[in-house]
Amino acid sequence: MAKSGDGIHILQGLLVFGNVVIGMCGIALTAECIFFVSDPHGLYPLLEATENDDIYAAAWIGIFVGFALFALSILGIFGVIKSNKTLLLVYVILMLITYAFEMASCITAATHRDFLTPNLFLKQMLERYQKSETVNNNDKWMTEGVTKTWDKLMLQNQCCGVRGPSDWQEYASAFRTMHSDADFPWPRNCCVMDARGSPVNLDGCKLGVPGYYNSNGCYDAISGPMNTHAWGVAWFGFAILCWTFCVLLGTMFYWSRIEY
Amino acid sequence: PHSRPRHPGARTMLPLLLLLLATAHGLDKLHYTPTLASSTLGGLRTTSTFVLEQPRCIFTNLQGNAVIWLVVAVPEAVANFSNSVRPGTPERAFQGFPASAPAYMTLNTTLLNYPCPRAPGEITVLRVGSETSCAGDGTRPTCNGPLPGPGPYRVKFLALEGSKPVAETEWSELITLRTARPPGSIPAMGSGRSAGMIALTTILSILFAILLAGLVAMLVFWGSDACGSSSTFSKPEVVSVQRYNTHHVHDQPAAQL
Repeated sequence: MAKSGDGIHILQGLLVFGNVVIGMCGIALTAECIFFVSDPHGLYPLLEATENDDIYAAAWIGIFVGFALFALSILGIFGVIKSNKTLLLVYVILMLITYAFEMASCITAATHRDFLTPNLFLKQMLERYQKSETVNNNDKWMTEGVTKTWDKLMLQNQCCGVRGPSDWQEYASAFRTMHSDADFPWPRNCCVMDARGSPVNLDGCKLGVPGYYNSNGCYDAISGPMNTHAWGVAWFGFAILCWTFCVLLGTMFYWSRIEY
Repeated sequence: PHSRPRHPGARTMLPLLLLLLATAHGLDKLHYTPTLASSTLGGLRTTSTFVLEQPRCIFTNLQGNAVIWLVVAVPEAVANFSNSVRPGTPERAFQGFPASAPAYMTLNTTLLNYPCPRAPGEITVLRVGSETSCAGDGTRPTCNGPLPGPGPYRVKFLALEGSKPVAETEWSELITLRTARPPGSIPAMGSGRSAGMIALTTILSILFAILLAGLVAMLVFWGSDACGSSSTFSKPEVVSVQRYNTHHVHDQPAAQL
């Protein structure tokens, strides 16, 4: 009996340890998802305008799942120490529900990241940037969001267009219908600006003299934060779920060994 | 008997006449072809403008009052182009290009603006098509307005003294501008599923299925204790030691009395 008693105690200890780790990971997941939802790079309007902002939905689910994991881990520790069958059954059922939500969050984040290609942002930029006639309020809101975001992006990251300033030449755009090609081969924010926010040399910018206009594209500045966001939610969630799987299997085994 | 009587000075008159004709035209044909500027410029060719190299050190034999014009023409007008049509006339007006005026003249300047030799490191270019304010203004026929279409076009430089052409360059190669495609032509479909996402979905689904199976097993064996095996353990019972006073203990003092 002593041997199995030791075995059970070891299993108890492992389960408690496993639940502690789940609790800490839950808090970490909540913190990470709050960080992503707060949109530090200001890229949310671009996603909103693609009507494909599900990586934000995944982050929101992550916040609540993190809290749930923390609470359930405490329940789990309590249940394992008390060896209470009912408590542990409740724990397993609630954990499985949380598991399902977190699974949804991970898969959503990973799937929707694949939709965010350069062509998607290029098309959106050409169709919405400085579009003048908006159909309804929603369209107006999205257009303003896209315009402000691109202006900020081009100014802060010293870049122009998605692949480069040639985007504005290769394709017709809403911008082009409002501003003539001779005066604005590309938007003013593509010019190198001085401290007061006006172009250093407007003619140099219009000519495309290297050094007076931004010749690189903004796609890296967009995809970097979005990749971090999506992979952070998806793969950290995946790691938590793998660990949780092991803990839950152990809990189920422990549960089956308790006798009233 | 067949020869006509000729004037005695006719033989010398003909070359003299030819010489007079040549000097009367006075046209210096320079062996220079206008070219586009360096390709490091991002805006070398846009949809309505292009950038030429300035003709520095080309017009070397000009008088001080000569004006150098840029002629822009559609390729069909090059063959019949006449240097003597004056700039600013409706036949050479920018506003009529290319329908009623197959060539127009613009960017007039004196040789002072093309000093020779050029300063090193200086960008010496001419942007054709940069003036948008006068593009529709009929009173400005020499406007350097944006080109109406992708072309192609050919250009040359022509120097005029008053209204007399004194020097010209060769016609350039065909210059074709860029054409803008509509944004609807961009394929916006996603690039398909990445391997990481497929692996993630598969593994998570399998793990979830195993857990659900485990839960079902738990619920099935919830009521039945038939899962008894030798290694089940009992919860440590809370044993409370109760004081058990027997009759004997109480009765004995009474019996002694």
